[in-house]
Amino acid sequence: MSTANQEEFINRIKMALGKPIATSQRDADLFKSAMSAETRAILERIKNRTPEERKNLLATLIEAAGPINLEVKSCEDLNSVSAGIVDLVRANDPEWGPKKSVAAWPHPLIENLGLPAALSQQDVNVFFTDLKETDAESIRRHVIDSYIGVTAADFCMADTATLVMRTRAGQARSVSLVPAIHVAVIELNQIIADLKELYALLKWDPQIKKEALTNCMTFISGPSKTADIEATMVHGAHGPREVHIFVVTAPD
Amino acid sequence: MSSSKTVTLFIQCLVDTIYPEVAQTMVQVFRRLGIGVTCPTDQTCCGQPAFNSGYRQSARVAAKHFIEVFADAEQIVCPSGSCVNMVRHHYASLFQNDSRWLQRAQNLAGRIYEFSEYLVDVLGVVDLGGRFDGKVTYHDSCHLLRGIGVQEQPRKLLRHVLGTELIEMHNSDYCCGFGGAFSVKYPDISNAMVSDKVKNIIDTGADAVVGCDMGCLMNIQGKLSRMGSSIKVMHIAQILAS
Amino acid sequence: MSKIATENYVAEARKAIKNRVLQEALADLQHRFGRATAESYRRLPEGPDLRLKAHDIRLQTIENLDIVLETLATNIRKNGGHVHFAEDRRSAVNYCLEVAHKHKVRQVVKGKSMVSEEIRLNEALVEAGIEVSETDLGEYIIQLAGETPSHIIAPAIHKTRNDIGSLFADKLDIPYDDDPPRLTWIARKALREKFLAADMGTSGCNIACAETGHITTVSNEGNIRMATTLPRVHIAIMGMERVAAGLEDHDILLRLLCRGAAAQHMATYVSYIGGPRSTGQIDGPQEFHLVILDNGRSRILADAEFREMLCCIRCAACLNVCPVYAKIGGHAYGYVYCGPVGAVVTPLLVGINRAKDLCQGETLCGACQDICPVNIDIPRMLLALRAKLAEGDSAWKVTPADRKEKFLLQVWSWVIRRRRLYDAALKLAAAGQKLFTHKDGVIRRLPPPMHGWTKGRDLRPLAKESFVQGWKKGIKIR
Repeated sequence: MSTANQEEFINRIKMALGKPIATSQRDADLFKSAMSAETRAILERIKNRTPEERKNLLATLIEAAGPINLEVKSCEDLNSVSAGIVDLVRANDPEWGPKKSVAAWPHPLIENLGLPAALSQQDVNVFFTDLKETDAESIRRHVIDSYIGVTAADFCMADTATLVMRTRAGQARSVSLVPAIHVAVIELNQIIADLKELYALLKWDPQIKKEALTNCMTFISGPSKTADIEATMVHGAHGPREVHIFVVTAPD
Repeated sequence: MSSSKTVTLFIQCLVDTIYPEVAQTMVQVFRRLGIGVTCPTDQTCCGQPAFNSGYRQSARVAAKHFIEVFADAEQIVCPSGSCVNMVRHHYASLFQNDSRWLQRAQNLAGRIYEFSEYLVDVLGVVDLGGRFDGKVTYHDSCHLLRGIGVQEQPRKLLRHVLGTELIEMHNSDYCCGFGGAFSVKYPDISNAMVSDKVKNIIDTGADAVVGCDMGCLMNIQGKLSRMGSSIKVMHIAQILAS
Repeated sequence: MSKIATENYVAEARKAIKNRVLQEALADLQHRFGRATAESYRRLPEGPDLRLKAHDIRLQTIENLDIVLETLATNIRKNGGHVHFAEDRRSAVNYCLEVAHKHKVRQVVKGKSMVSEEIRLNEALVEAGIEVSETDLGEYIIQLAGETPSHIIAPAIHKTRNDIGSLFADKLDIPYDDDPPRLTWIARKALREKFLAADMGTSGCNIACAETGHITTVSNEGNIRMATTLPRVHIAIMGMERVAAGLEDHDILLRLLCRGAAAQHMATYVSYIGGPRSTGQIDGPQEFHLVILDNGRSRILADAEFREMLCCIRCAACLNVCPVYAKIGGHAYGYVYCGPVGAVVTPLLVGINRAKDLCQGETLCGACQDICPVNIDIPRMLLALRAKLAEGDSAWKVTPADRKEKFLLQVWSWVIRRRRLYDAALKLAAAGQKLFTHKDGVIRRLPPPMHGWTKGRDLRPLAKESFVQGWKKGIKIR
């Protein structure tokens, strides 16, 4: 249906640019086919990152998190992450309705937290967004009813305190979006410096580029906000009102 | 400090016809520095008013005349940032299809300076021996600031005027609303803009506002006068010569 | 909801100038964002000259737009999405209606998108019996009020909290409240229902990535994520120029976009969307459609003088520093695109003669170019538009806007070369002005066409003797 449209459309552009309709020229520079020296250096830097450098990135992350109302907590192990989440559940009430419910990704890092057991004391359900267990409609309803969503992430960019989350089976987008509180659990070595590093990895790292961006990649930098009313900043617009990142620091 | 230097005055149509005292004080300042001054008497206008209103053919005529008048001048000094900007940045677009005139325009662009720029950057002087007792504030004209990048030079000069205290106004770099024909064709908007500018001037508590472009100053002075204000409006040449 | 009202520039400007609430809101907006954005450029690791590099990246993309768009379409389709190339608004709207019809869509949630306003999508959907909810808080407020946005990023900037409190009380049938956090929560609650019930979500696109086959949406509220994750269909609409060739271009462009738009280092949410949900995924739309819109852009592209305008990434930084916009607000521009960007884009899209006040109603102060994250020379293009209005232009179908003025300038150019004639004219004027000069030496009222000046200002009369005349006489300087 659209091919005729497309041809006409593109031809109009070619005419506007004074290019011949028949051929389409390749501009080698446009889609960088070779890795630049700068990119190579970036990938090397990431590969050879020392524990000390990683700790510095964590410090940068914590500093960047402050101004955007983002909570970052470093935890020695998964137990203390779990304890942190239990505290969050205890301290917060659901936004809609009385029942406290948590939605979580079926991800190894999350599953190893032992949340269902940890939260059973408070009589709080933990629901894993796993299609093997139930259908999409049911998962959707559970996520909508949850007030805390627990996810992992692919990376975290330290300079802007940004979580980078790609989309995969079982890793529902709505878990980091619909519940009022978003909890992300990451490991120290997932923290990278900035956008340059991220794009370098996505495009050039042999492992990472296999998956590339996936069909949806989201950057999340703190809780949702708006300043549309009298330019007054309000935290908590349509997305989550609170975001907590737990960073699991491997022992030295 | 004295030299056998001579500068050529390009006085700007507004100064020529309404504020000749500004050019007179420029001459005074140069004489104080021992610099000779010539003034081609065939000069009229750089063509900016025509150019800004889109009349490029007319602007071209004025530009050619201007280039001819100043053909032999080694260093041209002008009391208006916007005129210098016109010559430096817009003359080329008038002669895109004429390589001979384009070359002459480009050559001219390298020989023309705004007054405060000339004093500070070319002559290397900041203290002209001027005196003014009171507080002054300074307005950054748009084409002077963003067109030819002159920001610090007038301030340096003002700080060396004996008896003055320089107070920065809020939004000194905001347009005053002159814009040439704009001030007459869109008077409500122009008036609203100059009202803001004047409020910022008054809020500094200054006794005088200084600038480097008589277009802006004429606009600001017109507003202050209508409001019955006693704040003085001075071109930098006037305060330096005082 | 965008009808063309560019002819009302002067009248709307006058209204805006008298509106104290608007004036304060605009002054506050500029005070906060204008300065902060400039500072954020200075603090870039590469320094503010990164904008120049960004300009080159954008221009290179625009000059290869045929290749870039074909690559984008191919890759979006590889990701399972549909792509429609829309020559004009009718084509875009018809496509959206077809998709909505096919999926039996009854309710739509909209993420903020200028281009969807340009094609008047809401109008068309509503006419087809579909309920449309704006979800960006500012747009939601405007929609409830039945108004048009007054700023590209902050559409409801002209409304006070009291206005909004009354509006919500009236339209949502709730008790009056004017506390911004509580008002925001009310909107959050109301729109949550819409998000959960909607069949289709629409969005714009900030900067697509041709190499990977993704669009991006950038926001702080989370509404665009909601609108593009929960409903079963997602249609994204983009102006054809809103694309980058490669992923690495996004590093520079995204950092500059966030700084230009809100002096942020990173917006709260950036989503790369490249297709519908794939097998095994739980949410995301079942179908993803990208509509690429021309609607007059190819004409801009064809003109080397104006091509640069297509580099714009719609951040609205220029609105946050423009001294004219600060006085006249967004409605005066009479079209979707307001502020300095609107002053160039709108005439090129709707007609240069029709929008002549947008071309001429600025002072060319240059603040817009300085703050533009990709260093677009807006003043140069305004001058080019004025040249077309002055002398006419066949390619753009422009007729000279003011033949009287044109004639006057011709006379002027004749006089300007002849100093003696110039002096004679000055003498005449000096004599004539005596009629208007008061005893105290000030002119307080001028006749048309100069009367605009003296409405609010006095004028110094012409000097008794011009400087040149004095110089010629060799007057001694004390």
